[in-house]
Amino acid sequence: MRASRLEPSERSTAGRCSAGQPGAAVPTWLIATATLLLSTLREIFDESAYSRFLARHEMDSCPSAYAAFLREQERNKARLPKCC
Amino acid sequence: MAKSLQILVWGVVSLLGALALGAIALHRGEQINAMWLVVAAFCTYAVGYRFYSKFISAKVLALDAKRATPAERLEDGRDFVPTNKWVVFGHHFAAIAGPGPLVGPVLAAQFGYLPGTLWILAGAVFGGCVQDFVILLFSVRRDGKSLTEMAREEIGIVGGFVAYAAVISIIVILLAVASLIVVNALKASPWAVFTIAMTIPIALLMGLYLRRLRPGKVLEVSFLGFILVMLAIWGGQWVSQTPAVAPWFTLTASTLAVVIIIYGFFASALPVWLLLAPRDYLSTFVKLGTIGLLAIGIIALRPTLHMPPLTRFIDGSGPIFAGSIFPFAFITIACGAISGFHSLISSGTTPKLIRRELETRMVGYGAMMAESMVAIMATIAACVLQPGIYFAINSPAGVVGQSPETASATISGWGFPVTAAGMHALAQAVGEQTLFNRTGGAPAFAVGMAHIFSSSLGGQAVMAIWYHFAIMFEALFILTVLDAGTRVGRFMVQDALGHVWKPLGRTGWYPSILATSALIVAAWGSFLWQGVKDPLGGINSLWPLFGICNQLLATVALCVATTIIVKMGKARYSPVTLVPLTWLVSVTFTASWQKMFDPNPRIGFLAHARQLASSVAPSHEISRLIFNDRLDAVVTGVLVCMVTLILLESAFLWVSVLSGRMQVKVKEAPFVPTRFAAEEQG
Repeated sequence: MRASRLEPSERSTAGRCSAGQPGAAVPTWLIATATLLLSTLREIFDESAYSRFLARHEMDSCPSAYAAFLREQERNKARLPKCC
Repeated sequence: MAKSLQILVWGVVSLLGALALGAIALHRGEQINAMWLVVAAFCTYAVGYRFYSKFISAKVLALDAKRATPAERLEDGRDFVPTNKWVVFGHHFAAIAGPGPLVGPVLAAQFGYLPGTLWILAGAVFGGCVQDFVILLFSVRRDGKSLTEMAREEIGIVGGFVAYAAVISIIVILLAVASLIVVNALKASPWAVFTIAMTIPIALLMGLYLRRLRPGKVLEVSFLGFILVMLAIWGGQWVSQTPAVAPWFTLTASTLAVVIIIYGFFASALPVWLLLAPRDYLSTFVKLGTIGLLAIGIIALRPTLHMPPLTRFIDGSGPIFAGSIFPFAFITIACGAISGFHSLISSGTTPKLIRRELETRMVGYGAMMAESMVAIMATIAACVLQPGIYFAINSPAGVVGQSPETASATISGWGFPVTAAGMHALAQAVGEQTLFNRTGGAPAFAVGMAHIFSSSLGGQAVMAIWYHFAIMFEALFILTVLDAGTRVGRFMVQDALGHVWKPLGRTGWYPSILATSALIVAAWGSFLWQGVKDPLGGINSLWPLFGICNQLLATVALCVATTIIVKMGKARYSPVTLVPLTWLVSVTFTASWQKMFDPNPRIGFLAHARQLASSVAPSHEISRLIFNDRLDAVVTGVLVCMVTLILLESAFLWVSVLSGRMQVKVKEAPFVPTRFAAEEQG
């Protein structure tokens, strides 16, 4: 699953809106921008990584699944320096 | 777009940029609007990106649209994930943007706004952006390998060792300087101390919320954490105005240093999920919001710069740090122009997310331009202050005098009028007891930011809130760097010690965790303690040391990049990295030499030690200051020697390759065609 390209659900939403039908309430570019912004924030804040973890292990979100995700993350995240 | 229209558009952008640069460079004796800096920056970045980065992409690196990246070839849904380019851009920017581009330009504003601005623009376009871009691409072509791995493989064992040593040195010095900035921002400020202290329970609460109540809802909990932090800022005002409570949070610099050292130890040893990760999320949330807010504020309010383009301190007699424009302006501003630290990020997570090779240009070169823009905003925030106020905040008591009256008289005598009463009124307006001698850059940035916002959003009535918001933002930012840096340093030490005795390398073995955490904390803690006890405010000696470390790491990164370019058979294009490398070598080696051996005691560590030894009666305190000076000189010397080794090893390799004495091949991953190109065409 390549969740951090635009999520399938996000892509399909964008697809529906991109038809640009007359009378559409929200401009297409606005939806696309908001979708992209949300995807970026979800990646920065590790929500996408958690979604991928759940998909990879075929698990539902719950405290134990999140604990397992955090254990996996610890290996990488804790080794990343924060830039000056 | 028709070619003639393109030429017209880029001609206009170039002319506008030249006009703006001319305006900021040639105006003398009158104040200019901050928008000139913004326009100059935008046009310079646009032209640099459109033409220079395109040249590098096409001719030097030959980016290949058909070549699969490691994110595609090694995709595992965990480390290697092909990701939308804008998402990677945001991720990369969030990782490289730290307190450096905010603090460095504020300190360098002692020369006036012109030197810093020109260096930020030229340094970024020809140095920093290029370094981030090429290292990112080279890491992508090597399965996401780190800088130290690439140095070992492409240059040699010495290169790998030096890169490792440079990384750990810069982490230690960075942590010391960062914590010193926090100490100077929080000392004698119950409001700021309370706000920052509250971020610890808020982060713990966020960690528990994420772990137990709403697993994985990071954006949601970050927003809740942000609201709690805003409440803490509001509560801090009450604390500072309540005589029974305020003394509990009114701490001296020494006490704060001890508290931060203890905090750093626990932050390194506690589980990541409990403190480090939620604090990181909160910090990122506040960081992105504040940078966006500051950008909007500057563009909407278009403040006037009160700082002259050049001050009298270009001669090297500056009160904030001693030393002339060359080389000290160029090591004081690192992250906004070129920062070696970025090469660690460019060869860390980011190359494992890149979907197409072509996207390395936007992510590597583009994100550094955004970081450089943050540095321009910091320059503006510092330069909107009246110069007298700027120098009163940033000058250490050891230079301008202990009392407000003496300091005001000294600064006014330099031609920058300021009064003790005026400074007292400003301190009252921002909810502080005093703003004199608040060295480190963070308080001046906070006052500048509060000044910009209070001119429209809420007026003077909320200036104190804006000031403490900015202090909270920077301190939170820096403490996150401290958390992560201490832990990364700990892992690096554990990795090294594991070769000596295996159990020490086990990251889950608590005796090893405690011992190595203590080692790293002691390393940066000793520099912090030195900075706190330094009568010149510590920043005078430690910030240049940090700048030297950071730029030496950039030297290592550019050595690696140049070596790879030469080995690719593209030596004719090597000036792309060789020119910034040569510049950095001349800057860092000159700065290092001056910091070690300059006869002026305000510049040279050893001259200062000699002055202390000869001019005052010996005491324990004086002996410690002398030891500190000698230690700083030795650290600088060792770093320079190590980088000299990697330069020599690289140069030997370049000569061998170019003279045909050595047949070498770059160690790239084999070519595999990307499926994305076909998908896009289909």
